[in-house]
Amino acid sequence: MTNSTITATIDKILNQTEKSILTDISGELSNSHQKLDDSVSKLEAEYDKIIADGKKEADKIEKQIVGGADIEARNKQLLALESSVNRVFTTALEQITNSDRNSDYANLINSLLEESTQILGTTEVKVFTNSKDRDTVQSALSRFPGSELSSETIDCIGGVKIESKVGSMKFDNTIDAKIDRLKPLIRKEIASKFGVNE
Amino acid sequence: MTDKGGIQYSNIAEIKGPLVVVDDVDNAAFDELVEIETIEGERRLGKVLEVGNGKAIVQVFEGTTGLSISGTSAKFVGKVMEMPVSKDVLGRVFDGLGRPKDGLPDPIADKFIDINGEPMNPEQREYPKDFIQTGVSVIDGLITLVRGQKLPIFSGSGMSHNLLAAQIARQASVVGTNDDFAVVFAAIGVQYSEAEYFRRSLEESGALKRSVLFLNTADDPAIERIITPRVALTVAEYLAFDLGMHVLVILTDMTNYAEALREISAAREEVPGRKGYPGYLYTDLSTIYERAGKLNGRKGSVTQIPILSMPSDDITHPIPDLTGYITEGQIVVGRDLFRQGVYPPINILMSLSRLMKDGIGEGSTREDHAEVANQVYDAYSRAQEVRALAGIVGKAGLTEIDLKYMDVGDVFEKEFLTQATDENRTIEETLAILWKIVSKLPKNEITKIKDKFVDKYYQGE
Repeated sequence: MTNSTITATIDKILNQTEKSILTDISGELSNSHQKLDDSVSKLEAEYDKIIADGKKEADKIEKQIVGGADIEARNKQLLALESSVNRVFTTALEQITNSDRNSDYANLINSLLEESTQILGTTEVKVFTNSKDRDTVQSALSRFPGSELSSETIDCIGGVKIESKVGSMKFDNTIDAKIDRLKPLIRKEIASKFGVNE
Repeated sequence: MTDKGGIQYSNIAEIKGPLVVVDDVDNAAFDELVEIETIEGERRLGKVLEVGNGKAIVQVFEGTTGLSISGTSAKFVGKVMEMPVSKDVLGRVFDGLGRPKDGLPDPIADKFIDINGEPMNPEQREYPKDFIQTGVSVIDGLITLVRGQKLPIFSGSGMSHNLLAAQIARQASVVGTNDDFAVVFAAIGVQYSEAEYFRRSLEESGALKRSVLFLNTADDPAIERIITPRVALTVAEYLAFDLGMHVLVILTDMTNYAEALREISAAREEVPGRKGYPGYLYTDLSTIYERAGKLNGRKGSVTQIPILSMPSDDITHPIPDLTGYITEGQIVVGRDLFRQGVYPPINILMSLSRLMKDGIGEGSTREDHAEVANQVYDAYSRAQEVRALAGIVGKAGLTEIDLKYMDVGDVFEKEFLTQATDENRTIEETLAILWKIVSKLPKNEITKIKDKFVDKYYQGE
C-alpha cells in the first residue's frame, strides 16, 4: 500500500468520523433544543402552579385576617350596643321606681290584678306586693271578691304577684317580671334608636 | 313571642328520668315551653309532652338531676320554644338550646321563630339542581351535593367524619352566583375537644363570619340534644327563606340525637321498637331531615349534611337504615380506608348522591362530569375485584389489563381520594384528576365516555 493510499484512507476515515461526530453533535443539539423547549412549557406550567398555589394561600390568609377582623369588630359593636340598651332599661326602671303612686299608677295596678286573676281563673287569691304599693293594692282589691293582701312584702319595683289560696298556682305580674318578658321584644326598637338594624 | 307570663304550678306529682309530671294543670298546651324552678331558684327549660286529666308531662331539657318533688315549681310560659333570629346570628356560637356561648349578649331579634318549623308545602318545593362545591374531590366529583339536598354521612366510631365535617364547613361555597352562602353547624353530643376544634377551625379559617355554631357537648344534658338540630334548622330556614341565602346545615352526630330520643321514650314507658328506639323514630327523623329544600319563588335554599356514626359500623342499624329512607343518598365512610390512613376515607362504592345527575354537567360543573365520574366508578369497582383476585392468585397471575386496573385503584386512592384537610380543590382540579385516572386505561377500555370528550380530555397514550 502506497503512502498516498494510506493518506486517502486516513482522510476518508477522518471525514467519516468527522461527519459522524458532526451528525451526533447536531442530533444532540436538536435534542437539547427539544428538551429546552419542553422544559420551557414545563417550567411555565410549574411557574403557573406556584403562582396559583400562592394566590390560593394568599386568598386563604386574606379570608382569615378579614374574617377575624370583621368578627372582632362586630363583637365589639354588639357589646357596646348591649351596654347602651342596658343603660336605657336601667334608666327606665329608675324612673318607674321613683314615679308617683298617683291615679294612673292605681289604674295600672288594677289592670295588673285583672290580668292576673283572669289567667289564674279565680279571684280567690292571695296578693303580694312591695311595701310602697301596699295601700294602692289594698284599695284595688275591693273589686276582686275573695282576694286578700298578704302581710309579707316582696322585693320588686312595683306591681303584684298572686297565688291561689291553696298555694299550688302562682302568677308573677310585677313590673320587674313584665319588663323581663318585654325586654327581648323591645331590644330591637331600642337598638334602632342607636342606628343599628334600621 | 308575647309579654304575657305564665302560671307557675307547684304540685309536682312525679320526677322520672328526664320527665316531670305536674298535677292540677289547666290550659297547658302540647309542646308549650315550661320553666322549671328549683328550690334554690335555679331555672331549667322544658316542654310539654302530654296533657290530660289535669296532668302535664314535662320533658326537662337540662335534665332532672338535683330536682325534688317538694320545692320545685313549673311555670307554663304560654308559648312554644322560639329562637330569636336576625342576620346578627352569623358569626355567633350558641349552646344546644340556642343560648349564646361566646360571651356575647343575645342577638337582637328581628323575629322569634317556633323551633319546630313549619312544614314545607310539597307543592311549593322546587327540585334541587344547583351544585354546591365542598372543595373535597370525592364529594364534588363522585357524590355531588346539590343545593336543597339532604345527603347524610354514615360513619363509625372514631373515624374522621368530624374532620370532614369541619373541612366542608370551612370550604363549601356556591359557584357561578353571587348569592350569599352560610353554614349552620350543629354539634350534638360531641366531646369538648371536638366542639373546640369546630369552633377554632372556623374561626382561624375566617369562615366563622358566615357560620352559626350550635354546640351541645357530651357533658351537656342528653335531652338538650332533642332541641339542638331544631334550633339550628330554625336559624337556617330564616337565613334561607327570609334573607335569601344558600345555607348548608351540618348536623353531627345524629346518633346522639336518636339516643336522647330513646332515653325519653324509655322514661315515658313507651313500647320500644327496634333496638329500643321508639316506634316513631322514622317520623321524628323526618321532621328534621325534611326541613331541607328549596321553595318556588324564594331565593335561598337549605341543604343538609347530617352525620351519624353507625354503632359497630352496622349500616342496617335503625338510625342509618331509617335515615336512608328519608334522605337523598348517602356518603359512607369506610373503616378499611380509614385504617390505611386515607383521608377522607370515603367508600365510593357504597356511596351515592341521588340528585347528582341534576346538579352536574354543562352550565353547572362541566359537560363531561357525569360520564367521567361513571367511568371512574366502573374502573374503581373493577380495581377492587382485581385486588381480590390478586390476593388469591398473586400479582404474577394477573393479565396486563388487570394490572392497569390495579394501577387505577392505587392512583384513585392516592391522588383523588387522599386530600389534605386544608386542601380546597376546585371542580376543575377535581375533574382533571378524574381524567388522569381514566387516562391510565387504554382507550378501548373507556366505554362510558363519548368520543368527543375522550378526544378533548384523555391524556393517555
